[in-house]
Amino acid sequence: MGSRFRWVQVLLYGFVSLWSLFVLLPTAWMVIGAFKTKREFFLDPLGMPASFDFDAFERAWGTGVGGFLLNSMFVTALSVLVIVVVSAMAAYVLARTDNRWMRLVYLVIVAGFAVPVQAVIIPLFQMVSGAGMLNSLFAIVLPYAAYGIPFTIILFYAFFLDFPRELEEAALLDGCRPVKTFFHIVLPLMGPAVASAAIFQAVFIWNEFLLALLMLTKPAVKTLTVGILQLGGEFTSDWAAIMAGLSIAVLPILTVFILAQKYFVRSLAGLGK
Amino acid sequence: MASLQIRNLIKDYGSFKAIRDVSLEVPSGEFVVMVGPSGCGKSTLLRSIAGLESITSGEISIDGRDISKVEPFDRGVAMVFQNYALYPHMTVRQNMGFALKIGGASKVDVEKAVQRAAGILRIENQLDKKPKSLSGGQKQRVAIGRAITRSPDVFLFDEPLSNLDAALRSQMRVELGRLHAELGATMVYVTHDQTEAMTMASRIVVLRDGIIEQVGAPLELYNFPATRFVAGFLGSPRMNFIKATVHTIDNDHLHLEAAGLAGRLRVPLLHADNALDGMQSGTDVIVGVRPEGFVDGDVEGYRDWRIEGQVAVVESLGRDTLLYLNGGGIKAFDSESHEGYLAIHRTRQLQAVHGQQLQVAIDPGAAYVFDASGKTCVFPLAPNHLLAGAA
Repeated sequence: MGSRFRWVQVLLYGFVSLWSLFVLLPTAWMVIGAFKTKREFFLDPLGMPASFDFDAFERAWGTGVGGFLLNSMFVTALSVLVIVVVSAMAAYVLARTDNRWMRLVYLVIVAGFAVPVQAVIIPLFQMVSGAGMLNSLFAIVLPYAAYGIPFTIILFYAFFLDFPRELEEAALLDGCRPVKTFFHIVLPLMGPAVASAAIFQAVFIWNEFLLALLMLTKPAVKTLTVGILQLGGEFTSDWAAIMAGLSIAVLPILTVFILAQKYFVRSLAGLGK
Repeated sequence: MASLQIRNLIKDYGSFKAIRDVSLEVPSGEFVVMVGPSGCGKSTLLRSIAGLESITSGEISIDGRDISKVEPFDRGVAMVFQNYALYPHMTVRQNMGFALKIGGASKVDVEKAVQRAAGILRIENQLDKKPKSLSGGQKQRVAIGRAITRSPDVFLFDEPLSNLDAALRSQMRVELGRLHAELGATMVYVTHDQTEAMTMASRIVVLRDGIIEQVGAPLELYNFPATRFVAGFLGSPRMNFIKATVHTIDNDHLHLEAAGLAGRLRVPLLHADNALDGMQSGTDVIVGVRPEGFVDGDVEGYRDWRIEGQVAVVESLGRDTLLYLNGGGIKAFDSESHEGYLAIHRTRQLQAVHGQQLQVAIDPGAAYVFDASGKTCVFPLAPNHLLAGAA
């Protein structure tokens, strides 16, 4: 191992450390700020709070963050469920078919992955509005699902190409038609792929802002990202409460992400296959 | 227990003909081994019987019932895969009982069948383990157990031993032999390993380029190979093939000349005399001599066919010795060694070393003669005397 290699290593580690600080410092500042009093917040923006009390959290919670949290959880869980179930079944069929037209379908789905949501946001709004779904959680669950499915199909498609065919053949001989094979053999073995896809989509949906802002205007249906914005309007001076609300918003997805980051990395690594 | 009939089976993949017109009768209770080099169509044939491949034309039937268009699970066949194909998320018990469970059998019946199969294979204490924690040999037992549980009409094996190490493989060969005797079931077994074919088969089917080259009992094929391909495929080390030319044919001998051989090889003619039709002085033929078809070079009466050579490789097998001889002017072609060494098998211990001079002689009574097309024209006097005569 030459010294040149060590220098490259030092440089790389230095860069990654700086980058981590760049991301983590504001997060730490947010969490610490949530424990400050209003006074401390303005007098010493970068300092530590005198005591760690949860007053700001109580104030934030009192404005309905609990409701936003539930909405976000519902939207995320339902969207991820729809994405995973639909994508798994679609990808299985696409990966196993010999039909030429199905290959075209796959290409169209891949193309769908490339359409930016901003480009279609106005027609999308009109469609949702026309369906009378504005201010219902389904107004964002359906578009989220639609946007998550192409990527997840690509992910699962790659997984199925590597899936041992003998298992399916053994199941066929054991008496399973394709649907039974899928549910008895393939699905139970999809664990890692499903976890990858689910965590990837959950992070994206939890943090999604634009669609939620457009489709959800009543406080009762708002998700955390737009709910917190409302918090900013109400407490123009209570930054500690806003920081507390933001901390509550970030905490669940951060926990899930840290617990499942192995799968997250794998889902991205899987794309390089 | 059931018989299997294959009639005029053809399987094309586009322009590639994997199987071209194969017909085969497998009587009930027989252990048929299909062998051949990779790409000969043996696996395709097995998968066609299982229903995992559709066939282009022809008919496959079990006990007279045409199953060519029947769904795989309604064919009454069970298959053991090369990579075991155990379901990783199920225990051994669940793996073995899966087919019955899917078929709607009661829990009691499933358990009874699993216990019976586990008893036959002596894996009763593995039933609650997951496949991941089993060794290769145990996995293969479970895979076989899964087939037994279904009590199929026909068992299909697709190179089931190729992932096991040598010791385990010979153990499993014995085990499969015992299993066949115990179940009395019809079994079709695919392998590229001639040892497995020779040791386990009631009958061997040698396949080549999608057609059946020869069918017969192991020793029948070993002693009387219809073609040079079969002669070369069965037996290890391979038969030595030496190029020769016909000098004369008289009533009871074929006189051959081969480069590097002092005298003419006098091959006695007993079998298949009419196969020599069209042969005359100057016709090119190929002489085949099994590794055990040599005698010591100084034996009286064999000196004309003496080969003086240098020992290239010695393989001491314990009781037996395998020698690879650099025969100078006599070269084996299409052999295991690129250099054309002659493979010689002696049923005794030999203290030979690399480079040592050695004299052996071809036993003309042990020689096969093949014509240019690869057909066998002359069989040895009495092939089963070869082993005795080789000492």
